[in-house]
Amino acid sequence: MYSKLGLIARLAVIRPRFAIGYIIVIAITLLAIIAPVIAPYSPTEADSTSFLQVPSAAHLFGTDNVGMDIFSRAIYAPRIDLTIAVLGTLLSALVGGSIGAVVGFYSTGRGIRVWLSFAVMRAADVLQAFPVFVFAIALVASLGQSIQTVVLAIAFVNAPIYLRLMRSQVLSIRSMRYVEASQVNGLSDMQTIIRHVIPNAMAPVLAQLSVNIGWGILLTSALSFVGAGVRAPTPEWGSMIAMGFQNVVTGQWWPSMFPGAMLAITVFGFSLVGSSIEVLADPAKRRELLSDLRERRTRSGLPVEPA
Amino acid sequence: MAIAEATSSTKNARSEALSPLIAVKNLRVTFPAGGSEPKEVLKGIDLEVQPGEIVGLVGESGAGKTTLARSILGLPPAPGRISAGEVFFENRQILKLSEPELRRLRGRRLSVVVPNPRAELNPLLKVGDQIASMAKIHLSVSGKEARRMALQMLRDVQIPDPERRMNAYPHELSGGMAQRVVIAMALICSPAFVISDDATSGLDVTVQAQILALLAKLAADHGSAMLFITRDVGITAHFCNRVAVLFSGEIMEMAPRESLFLKPAHPYTLMLLAAFSHSPKLRETWSVPDTGRRREPSAGCQYVNRCPLAQPVCRTQRPPFAEIEPGHFARCHFPVRHA
Amino acid sequence: MMRILFYFGKRLIFVIPQLLGIVLVSFLLVKSIPGDPAVLMLGPTATPSAIASLREQLGLDQPLYMQFLIYVKDLLHGDLGTSWQTTRPVLEDLIQRFPATLELVTFSLLLAIIIGVSLGVHAARKPNGWIARLADIYGLSAGALPDFWFALVLIFIFYTVLGWAPAPLGRIDMIVLPPMPITGALTIDALLAGDFEAFKSASAHLVLPVLTLGLLNAGPILKMTQATMEKMLESDFSRYEILCGIPQNLVVRHALRNALPSIVTIISVLYGFLIGGAVLVEIVFSWGGAGQYAVQGVLNSDIYPVLGFVLFSAVFSLIVYIAVDLLYFLLDPRISN
Repeated sequence: MYSKLGLIARLAVIRPRFAIGYIIVIAITLLAIIAPVIAPYSPTEADSTSFLQVPSAAHLFGTDNVGMDIFSRAIYAPRIDLTIAVLGTLLSALVGGSIGAVVGFYSTGRGIRVWLSFAVMRAADVLQAFPVFVFAIALVASLGQSIQTVVLAIAFVNAPIYLRLMRSQVLSIRSMRYVEASQVNGLSDMQTIIRHVIPNAMAPVLAQLSVNIGWGILLTSALSFVGAGVRAPTPEWGSMIAMGFQNVVTGQWWPSMFPGAMLAITVFGFSLVGSSIEVLADPAKRRELLSDLRERRTRSGLPVEPA
Repeated sequence: MAIAEATSSTKNARSEALSPLIAVKNLRVTFPAGGSEPKEVLKGIDLEVQPGEIVGLVGESGAGKTTLARSILGLPPAPGRISAGEVFFENRQILKLSEPELRRLRGRRLSVVVPNPRAELNPLLKVGDQIASMAKIHLSVSGKEARRMALQMLRDVQIPDPERRMNAYPHELSGGMAQRVVIAMALICSPAFVISDDATSGLDVTVQAQILALLAKLAADHGSAMLFITRDVGITAHFCNRVAVLFSGEIMEMAPRESLFLKPAHPYTLMLLAAFSHSPKLRETWSVPDTGRRREPSAGCQYVNRCPLAQPVCRTQRPPFAEIEPGHFARCHFPVRHA
Repeated sequence: MMRILFYFGKRLIFVIPQLLGIVLVSFLLVKSIPGDPAVLMLGPTATPSAIASLREQLGLDQPLYMQFLIYVKDLLHGDLGTSWQTTRPVLEDLIQRFPATLELVTFSLLLAIIIGVSLGVHAARKPNGWIARLADIYGLSAGALPDFWFALVLIFIFYTVLGWAPAPLGRIDMIVLPPMPITGALTIDALLAGDFEAFKSASAHLVLPVLTLGLLNAGPILKMTQATMEKMLESDFSRYEILCGIPQNLVVRHALRNALPSIVTIISVLYGFLIGGAVLVEIVFSWGGAGQYAVQGVLNSDIYPVLGFVLFSAVFSLIVYIAVDLLYFLLDPRISN
């Protein structure tokens, strides 16, 4: 058997689109880190003498309607977008996941615990019945507009996903022999969760995390686009697209197009990474992949590793 | 036309015509097996069926019966692959035909009766429509005529209340009725060759007997030859002209019915017959069912691990398929001689 | 028939508490939005006594649970409250705007179905073919594109550069008189009125927003169609049909028929989702739909429009689900047994 990391590396070779996903995610993260070093201008200061400049050597992506350099702003933006999305997603996984695990343990049997877990599931139904965007925007409006509330909004709308995911994981793993055995051996519920459930749930949760970080970025920028998220002049893709909105209609495409393209590529990257983890997590798909890998090795005359 | 065909084909069968209806030659089917060498499930099958003849094919589960049935129709079960061999139908190599040409043969000239028919019938279509569509597609008759034929077929397979069953969905039928529906579908176009693939395995014994008798009668009425695949060697005694014994992808013995039942030559055939025998002594001598050794021998005889008569040579040399009597073949170094 | 009634009865028992939950959560949520509607309505120069009397009039001086009970009571009488921005009953506002959203979403859904089902079926027929690859990439990238930005790209290409599409300002040209509202969907009303000019203008305005939503939301339908069709084409009955010499096109059609319940399910979920999911596209195209109305409500502490919209979309999803349940009875003879 290959190690997990080695498998991802090999996977990248035979499924180039997965490699593209990892490259995008790494590149955007790097870009966010080194933005202060490579940005030619300040991301928040406007040069009022040169607004709406066409992309050129001086301004790689042009300037916006108040004269800020779009390239500098666009590479600074993932600092805030990624941070919000990652924090929000992690928070939702942590909170939703732990509630889900507990609910999974209590949803069979009898007594008050069963009723509680039933109530939690119906509450999750209610939350998921809301139109996501209107719900998020109402959350931001009621909690006050700030970066923290956007993080909270992302956590809130995604939490039911992890709740369900962990619950079903616990339910399926609980019914397996070795967990029953460990319970007979006197492990507490908590110990059982840590020892058996969490390792098994790792792959699907990771896949979901990656996809949700992408969604989180989309939601952050959408909130900012309608003016309910990150406020200008803080560099953020959604608010940049909103700033350039009117200019697009009159023909100055660059203030909106560049940040939008970077946003789309980033989200795409995270979905690709998510789907690659999903393939690894699915035994049937993994087997198909491994046989594909082996076939290639045989064809290229490399030694074949036993399955 | 059907009657004319039937009489001429029985005549042919009796006179051992030179040109068989179907001829399988050295058919090999492999399944990919994770990484290592692909596994050979059919190891060079040779089989001929004359027009109007009923040939029984007996074997335990996993012997390759269904694979053979499907491969004859050019459609081995996935992910199997026909790696070598030929199948001639009326002197045409059908494995070389294009997909549309094959399609026109399937169901029209070569048809199959499947086991577990409730899963095989389309759950959302009325059975009458499913039967009629066979006639409509293959015989280019009008919808009305196709329905009339379908209804007649339902009567022929002796389904009670056929008018009402025309409009039934598969889930509304019992297993036995569904089996009759599948038989109706297989025979409505009066095919030249029918493969019955373990057709009654899921039914209880009395229903089995009725349906098999019906199948044999209808095949004769329609002038169809038949390859009758089953796990139950006893059944073949009732109406097969010849019987072949399949073990682990190889035909171990093939003989006319009487010859096989009275003078079985291969130890495996003897084991099979002993299992159905009423004589305790015979059962004791020959039922050496399973030694638990699942690995197939790579060289030598496939049956060696279970054979009570095995000799050293059986492990090293593949026995030939020898004609021990006219028309009676066995793949064994030490065929059992009968006094 | 009894069975069907029983089925819906059971469904309603589950649905009514859920609806109540939705109303409660949205009520609390929107109530906690800071800003006093009385102050906002009267403006900064209002006297404290005027504000107090308006608060009393609006029931804002009551404790929170009373306010909720009053709201639910009014709901049962068909009163969704009043928007202070439009100074009109929310129900009237929504009845006027919901058809705009519904028209947009329905046409987008139709486009998504056409793309998703046809691509999915072809991809399933040849799981290793180039269409399957294309479907894979399309499914991944369509979900990744921000709809509000993609709408801008389309506007830039088809309005700004090529000039083929009308300006992204509403549902119909300013100079064209909209048809008498019957269904509320402009294209249909125009056809009913025989007003070809209005029909042309309304359809032209629909093209870009429908393209945006349809293209970007076809992914789930595509995935579901592909997965279910692959399963159906590998199933026993498809293989048996091939063994019976049924032509391939017919085998595929029968498989699609069997895959339909799953596809319909995902379509119904998507329909409900799109009502709220079209908000950003509505804003970009100044569509004047219900979603845009709700967002403006949130941004201006106008709570009843938001509540009304959430309720409308929840009830709409409910109607869709019930319609789909009815459809299942038609699609699958096994259910009624």
